[in-house]
Amino acid sequence: MPQRTPWVLLAYRLPRDPSTPRSSLWRKLRRLGAAQLLDGLAALPLDARNREQLEWLADEVVEAGGEATIWVGELGSMGQERELAARMAEAIAGEYNAVTEDVAAAREDRAGRQRRTLGRLRRELRRIRARDYFPPPERELAQQAVEELAALVEEPVG
Amino acid sequence: MRWATRRHCHVDRAACAWLIRRFIDPEAEFVFVDDPEEVPVDATPFDMRGVELSHHGGDCSFETFLRRYELSDPVLWEFAKVVHEADLADERYDAPEAPGLDVLLRGLSMVRDDEELLALSEPLFDGLYEYRKRALLSGREPA
Repeated sequence: MPQRTPWVLLAYRLPRDPSTPRSSLWRKLRRLGAAQLLDGLAALPLDARNREQLEWLADEVVEAGGEATIWVGELGSMGQERELAARMAEAIAGEYNAVTEDVAAAREDRAGRQRRTLGRLRRELRRIRARDYFPPPERELAQQAVEELAALVEEPVG
Repeated sequence: MRWATRRHCHVDRAACAWLIRRFIDPEAEFVFVDDPEEVPVDATPFDMRGVELSHHGGDCSFETFLRRYELSDPVLWEFAKVVHEADLADERYDAPEAPGLDVLLRGLSMVRDDEELLALSEPLFDGLYEYRKRALLSGREPA
């Protein structure tokens, strides 16, 4: 039987006002690549880092006057797990596609501009990879596109 | 004094331990626990959920130490930016050395236990402090 993925979950409730803690939490969950399962329930594949990061966010929720608990668990069936993984892969694929599109748009730019774009896209790619738990094929395409841009930038002016 | 933190230290805890030894308590002894309830009564806990010397208001524990102990040395605040980004990577600060520090400490924690990790990271943090100090004094990256 295939191994189930263990998950770490943050269940939280935040006061409606002020809205700053809410948007700060949302931004941090997004950066971690968490799946928002319901309003007030976010999940990440379990590892030491994700668990710790969600625990800090739980503390931030409590400090902002809300309630938060950390759960560790697995989905009830392989089917549901595949569905969640597919949903997360699809979301991250969109981010990789945006990188690929930015490379396409930079093809005709001047070399100086291309070099700056390359730096930005490499950083962006690194951030996306850090929250990519179920790599979609778009990842390889985005990496290839950025490498092509790098080759273009390196090309001697002839 | 005895200080307690969670086992399997990463960058924030290692940097806090360095800060404690250098600026707060040169005789510091560290205890590593799995659960907050295991903290010995005579030890001060840090970088654990629900304790004073931990993450607060988006700060990492290292920043909390600077605030609580009123360590206003501007070099330490430059240092804190690197620790914050290596620990949280939330882009509150621009600290390009942070991803490298994160990898070095994470890798070290895979091949050494906590005691050794703290001992080995000490000279690394001494060097980072010195580098940031020279950068601050000269206004440019030292070489």
